[in-house]
Amino acid sequence: MRSLLLAVLAAYVVAAIHAVLAFVNKRRSLQRVSEWSMAAGFVLHTGALLADWAIDGHYPLFYLRETLSFLAWTLVASYVLVLYRYRATALGSFLLPLISVLTFIAIVIRSESNGTVEARGLSATWLFPVHTTLLLFAYAAFFVVFIASVMYLLQERELKLKTFSAIFHRLPSLAIVNEIATGAAAIGLTLLTIGIATGMLWASSRDGHLWHNDPKEIFAVLTWLLYLLLIVYRSSARWRGRRAAWMGVAGFALVLCTFFGARLMGGYHVFG
Amino acid sequence: MSIVLIGVNHKSAPVELRELLAFSEEACTQGLRKLVDGDVVREGLIVSTCNRVEVLAETARERLQEGVERITDLLSQSRSLPSDFFHKHIYSHTDDQAVRHLFRVASSLDSMVVGEPQVLGQVRRAYSLALEAGTAGRVLNRLVHHAFRVAKRVRTETGIAANAISLSYMAVELGKKIFNSLKGHTVLLIGAGEMAELSARHLLNAGVARMLIANRTEESAARLAQEFGGEAVDFDRLSSHLADADIVICSTAARGYVITAQMAREALERRRNRPAFFIDISVPRNVDPAIGRIPNVFVFDIDDLESVISSNIREREREAERAELIVESEIMQFQQALRALDIGPTIGALRQKLQDIARLEMTRQRNRLGPLTPEQENAIESLLLSTVNKISHPVLSHLRRSYATNDSDTLQA
Repeated sequence: MRSLLLAVLAAYVVAAIHAVLAFVNKRRSLQRVSEWSMAAGFVLHTGALLADWAIDGHYPLFYLRETLSFLAWTLVASYVLVLYRYRATALGSFLLPLISVLTFIAIVIRSESNGTVEARGLSATWLFPVHTTLLLFAYAAFFVVFIASVMYLLQERELKLKTFSAIFHRLPSLAIVNEIATGAAAIGLTLLTIGIATGMLWASSRDGHLWHNDPKEIFAVLTWLLYLLLIVYRSSARWRGRRAAWMGVAGFALVLCTFFGARLMGGYHVFG
Repeated sequence: MSIVLIGVNHKSAPVELRELLAFSEEACTQGLRKLVDGDVVREGLIVSTCNRVEVLAETARERLQEGVERITDLLSQSRSLPSDFFHKHIYSHTDDQAVRHLFRVASSLDSMVVGEPQVLGQVRRAYSLALEAGTAGRVLNRLVHHAFRVAKRVRTETGIAANAISLSYMAVELGKKIFNSLKGHTVLLIGAGEMAELSARHLLNAGVARMLIANRTEESAARLAQEFGGEAVDFDRLSSHLADADIVICSTAARGYVITAQMAREALERRRNRPAFFIDISVPRNVDPAIGRIPNVFVFDIDDLESVISSNIREREREAERAELIVESEIMQFQQALRALDIGPTIGALRQKLQDIARLEMTRQRNRLGPLTPEQENAIESLLLSTVNKISHPVLSHLRRSYATNDSDTLQA
């Protein structure tokens, strides 16, 4: 399994390097190499996750290494969607290096797998994979919102100051990054809503409580509220452009707190 | 073989000389037919535009000087120019220098405005005229196609043509940065003037759906509306039209602000905060600069546009340096291709000669073999030929390689 993940990492690193070079040099041939390499990595990665599931006997989203690997996979999937819809290749030069790093960490911290009994017990119920998968996809969507928002803010600032840096000409237009951020926020919020709901359902079936006052839960609800606000304000057209973009950035800070919250502050969501 | 390029361009010669030398398309084909005699000058091509008149030709290496004279004669005698005046402004490049010059011209590195796209089309046209005249042969074909490839590489791999460097085009470029595509958007043109009208025209070409035109004098508004297929609107009710406009171009002779911050704020409210883009090319300014501080509104006055343009020009110059590197590396590749072209016929002839020897031996010895079936006869012939080919192949390909890399020592050995 490790060698398969190494191949995945190699493919992502090649994709990341070519994406960055394509971004700097504006060369379409480099972009093509990047996309093919990413596609190969994605297929292998899917295989690795499936193989993990089959061999270890639990849904491969339990230990930190599994979560990171899965997160990298969801990020690739999100980027593929954005690429397909908007051809926003600039996103790749920011996403792919991060994806490579996540995969690398997932490989390095490979050793912690020992409590497979508990893992198997947890993932026996169908709610576990649904809950975790939905939330990881929500995180990936929010990360796309974050990057698009940063791109918006950078360009908006340069347009206001009327001085354009080299990066300005390489980023997608304001309208496009705005659309990406809005779309990704809507998708992310939907996934987060269902993710939280299935989590509550699962918790109540385990010990009868919907809510445990756990830091992860609190942050998740705060995140949910913030993105709800973002979408409501956007659709009522009062907060467009820069303010909405700042919310996209702030929202991602909350997402990070949610993701790492349980690890740093303990609580109900600590397993394994 | 030698490649020669002789001509004048906007740097070497004043327009008076360039217009005297210029060739019409008809004159081009005629001149080429006269120039290319198949002996001294074997292939030729004439590029004639408002900024350059250049003759590109291929001559036998030992008759290069004669070729150069033929070309200068074509240029000077057909226009009966005094030769010393003419020689002062002319440049003449041979071989690598000629190749470099053509590559730079095709890539728009030698243009007055670096990166302008027209010159490649002009070289294309010149090439098709040479094809028509039948004066483009195997060397020029390869050279010109290589030049097209270099131009394409330069265009896609560097940013020499990336950013607008004309005031009127900035509206389109910045508009696209804000709205992505201008299709379906509305432009409000306030006032008139050459620059404003040119900008409006560029915006229309970029797909703007609706053009509103406001002018203090109704006749001007009506005239422009007709010209652009737009709608004339009432100048005194500007604020009511402001909300419809995604892009506003302002160019009037008014002494004060035609669009005040209050008007812009109200318009934005009615636009439900959709972004708006104001271009103010009037002096004194007609758009209150305070509008630039409103979120989702972008205001560019004439100085802002000028400073963006000068930074774009600097960017193009930096990119042009990268383009020169591409040109240099392509010259080396072309040299290799040319050498292979040069030795190709020689190697083909050599192989043919060897095969002829094999066939001759076969006919000489045929009688000794007695009666054979046609299959046996064919088998013997193919045996002989494949033996000859297999023995000669390493030698020939070594020859080809060492010729391509210009390794004269091994060639002599």
